[in-house]
Amino acid sequence: MTEDLVDFAVEHARSKGATYAEARFEQQTNEDFVVRGGVVDALDSTESRGIGVRVLAGGSLGFTATNLLTRSDVREITERAIALARGAKRKKPVKFAQEPAVTADWSVPEARPLADVSVEERVEEIVGIDRDLVGLKYKIPGRFFTCYSNRISKYFANSEGSRIRSYSPRVRLYYHLTLIKGGDVEQCNENYGWSGGWEALEEVKARERVLEAARTAINALEHGKKSPEGKTDLVAGPQVAGIAAHESCGHPTEADRILGREASQAGKSFITPDTGSMRIGSKVVNVVDDPTMEHAIAYYQYDDEGVKARRRYLYRGGKVTEFLQNRETAAVLGTRSNGAARATNYDREAIVRMANTFVEPKDYTPEEMIKDVKHGVYMKSFMEWNIDDKRWNGKYVGREAYLIEDGEVKGPVRRTVVELTTKAFWSAIDAVGKDLELFHAGWCGKSDPGQALDAALGGPTIRLRNVYLR
Amino acid sequence: MDDLAEKIVTTALGFGAKDVVGRVIVDRNYQIRFSQNEPAIANEWRKTYGQAFLNYEGRIVGGEISDLNQIPETVGRLVKIAKGSQPNPEFVGLAKGPFKYRRLASDPKVVKLMDGSEYVQAAIGGALEEGAKETAGSFWRYHEQHYLHTSNGASGSEVNAGLYLSIRAHAGPESSGHGVSCANRKLAFDPERAGHKAGRIAALAKNPKLGTPGAYDVVFDPLIAGSLIDQLGGRASAYSVAAGFSPLAGKLGKKVASNQVTLVDDATADTLGCRRFDEEGVPVRRKAIVQNGVLKTYLHNTSTAKKFKTKTTANAGLVAPSAHALILEPGDRTRDELFQDVRDGLWLTNTWYTRYQSYVAGDFSTIPRDGIFRIKDGEVAEVWKDIRLTDNLLGVWKRVKGLSKKTEQVQWWGEVHVPTMAPYALVAKVNVTRSAM
Repeated sequence: MTEDLVDFAVEHARSKGATYAEARFEQQTNEDFVVRGGVVDALDSTESRGIGVRVLAGGSLGFTATNLLTRSDVREITERAIALARGAKRKKPVKFAQEPAVTADWSVPEARPLADVSVEERVEEIVGIDRDLVGLKYKIPGRFFTCYSNRISKYFANSEGSRIRSYSPRVRLYYHLTLIKGGDVEQCNENYGWSGGWEALEEVKARERVLEAARTAINALEHGKKSPEGKTDLVAGPQVAGIAAHESCGHPTEADRILGREASQAGKSFITPDTGSMRIGSKVVNVVDDPTMEHAIAYYQYDDEGVKARRRYLYRGGKVTEFLQNRETAAVLGTRSNGAARATNYDREAIVRMANTFVEPKDYTPEEMIKDVKHGVYMKSFMEWNIDDKRWNGKYVGREAYLIEDGEVKGPVRRTVVELTTKAFWSAIDAVGKDLELFHAGWCGKSDPGQALDAALGGPTIRLRNVYLR
Repeated sequence: MDDLAEKIVTTALGFGAKDVVGRVIVDRNYQIRFSQNEPAIANEWRKTYGQAFLNYEGRIVGGEISDLNQIPETVGRLVKIAKGSQPNPEFVGLAKGPFKYRRLASDPKVVKLMDGSEYVQAAIGGALEEGAKETAGSFWRYHEQHYLHTSNGASGSEVNAGLYLSIRAHAGPESSGHGVSCANRKLAFDPERAGHKAGRIAALAKNPKLGTPGAYDVVFDPLIAGSLIDQLGGRASAYSVAAGFSPLAGKLGKKVASNQVTLVDDATADTLGCRRFDEEGVPVRRKAIVQNGVLKTYLHNTSTAKKFKTKTTANAGLVAPSAHALILEPGDRTRDELFQDVRDGLWLTNTWYTRYQSYVAGDFSTIPRDGIFRIKDGEVAEVWKDIRLTDNLLGVWKRVKGLSKKTEQVQWWGEVHVPTMAPYALVAKVNVTRSAM
């Protein structure tokens, strides 16, 4: 029934003169709940569904969306999308890069299908983690968890003949703890994500990780020293490598940002269409964005323009090699889409997005990297971070971090500040680990209206030589 | 739609729930995004959906009703889900109605607006006239109808309609400015002025040099002042306080800002945040969050108010209360007088990416963007780039030295979530850092 409406929207748009049309039905079944201080604050259960229609007419784009799933409503929004596009009257017409028509049906396997897991079990799992935290006998007045699950069913059709069905279940867990010891306070949080079923929490070892975070925070409160200031070596764990890859490799290689389409919101980039294969890091640095990593939170096989997903080498051998593209940006830059178009739901246009962005792992163990450090810091996680909107000036402030002396991990240090330019960060890397952790996740913000989208933010451990820390 | 909101409530009561809120939202928002001086895409939404919130034997559940023909099925599913959850002893129910609401009339010219192209062109034209080369932004016509019914006797509806334009102008790769225009009435909407402001700042920001770390007196333009106001007002939610996301915990009745700072939440004021009632149906009212620097109240719904032994401030959020419209009361200085007070400092025009190392301590950093200007003896002496403010939220507010007499309504993507009336603000000794090369 809804697939008929999607097909109808595409056909109707073409019959009304759209040069290109696509329609996307999405049904998202969310079950989210908050556990605060051991109490379930509230549980939100939403089944949203609707159709979004995007057309190219008169050289411009129009997008409309409705949750009113009748033929007359879909007809109206389709005609309105065409009217909106024609009303834009662009001087430079929007074009789409050529792509083959695709017929596909893909889904993500669930060892424990979300639909089969009761609310009782889900709630008890998280409340149980909270109970174990309390059992540590630390003073943790702030214990905050949000557990998200989402089952996303889509049907995509376009006027070039693509017809794609998909089912993508996802689970996320966010926690935020406030720990006190002797009048001093430490806060920590993390965000885990998984494409698949309820096996997620076991796969990412959520319980162990939360408890370990509490132990390390208390250790920092009890024994933490001021982090060394000045030039020294830095061994950065998977979370730190992950956020750096996302912020200073993934975002600046988004082609829509490079072309100025996001300038007013998420910003532009230090990369321009003319900068070519600029060197940005050392030769050991490869940073990829790969939607096809099974069970990573942003797993997909075809993007929301019907383009097949593949691994993209954003930085290779320390040089910028590829931008993230959708069909619109690819046409401007004279290339092909690499399947990076995504939307948060049926009521948003698909724009260029990262998926699972990470430093490509190599062959070191963390121990091997630490062994060769005379003096430095081993920073495993962070709290505060930010970067400017051209993606050049980044900052990551350590949460769990330790001093390294003569190749050995010593006591904890607090608030290590890594405030480096993108080039300074990536140029300092001389070793990349094999310990890829891709279940660290985040909400990647972009576009207007805002589209906070699942993104994997993990990576392997990396080593930076002789960088300025505070 | 009133009847559908009521049907959500009666259906849930029929399933044995209590403390039920039924809402129906009719969304007819319209937007034009533009970039490189041209429309990029025009969007329109045609959505009509419900929301249900209920208490089933102490278990709190909410959710969207995407298909209003399926109210019994959806509410029944929510009740079933509630049975599997656990009780929340901190939830104490909804405010008791019925209530009377003030009149709130939307501008029919806004509601009927079908084409915003001329506003986009006016904004772009304004920026280019000032010397900008490239612009990007969004025009919005908001039009939403809300219908609310609660099991505790509240019932009402409202139409929220307004116009908004945000424009960023570039005069060079690293020379940019930002302007916004917000209005509930068509006559008060001035996107051209926003364009001029963005273009003027961009043109002034040419050839920036690297900034120098240190502590500076800073004049905050209303847009970036709005970000700091958003942080203070947002952290005043009682939920944020209770969950460990606020430096305001334990500070009721204490100084959290300089004497000059009075911050109110007022959904009765003529801003894009004006409304008739909160999510429990309680009539909105003006209240001081901070008065002359002293924290007077957190923002509450009925349950957080009970926990903090006070009354609701009409800021529900059924789970987490939040501000509707923030107003930093104006000061007694002109903009020029504030600048003249700066012997050696900065003028910042916008920021983004505000993040905390510790919410309870209020230690944060944020990255100024668009025009960053060194001020010497009240005049622009240099253009800077690539700096970061690394400071403490309450520390910044305690160091406010002066506020302008005039305020501007601001709201912006990512940083100023709540419609805000912001003056120019002069703050002493703001800590500036910079990334190492």
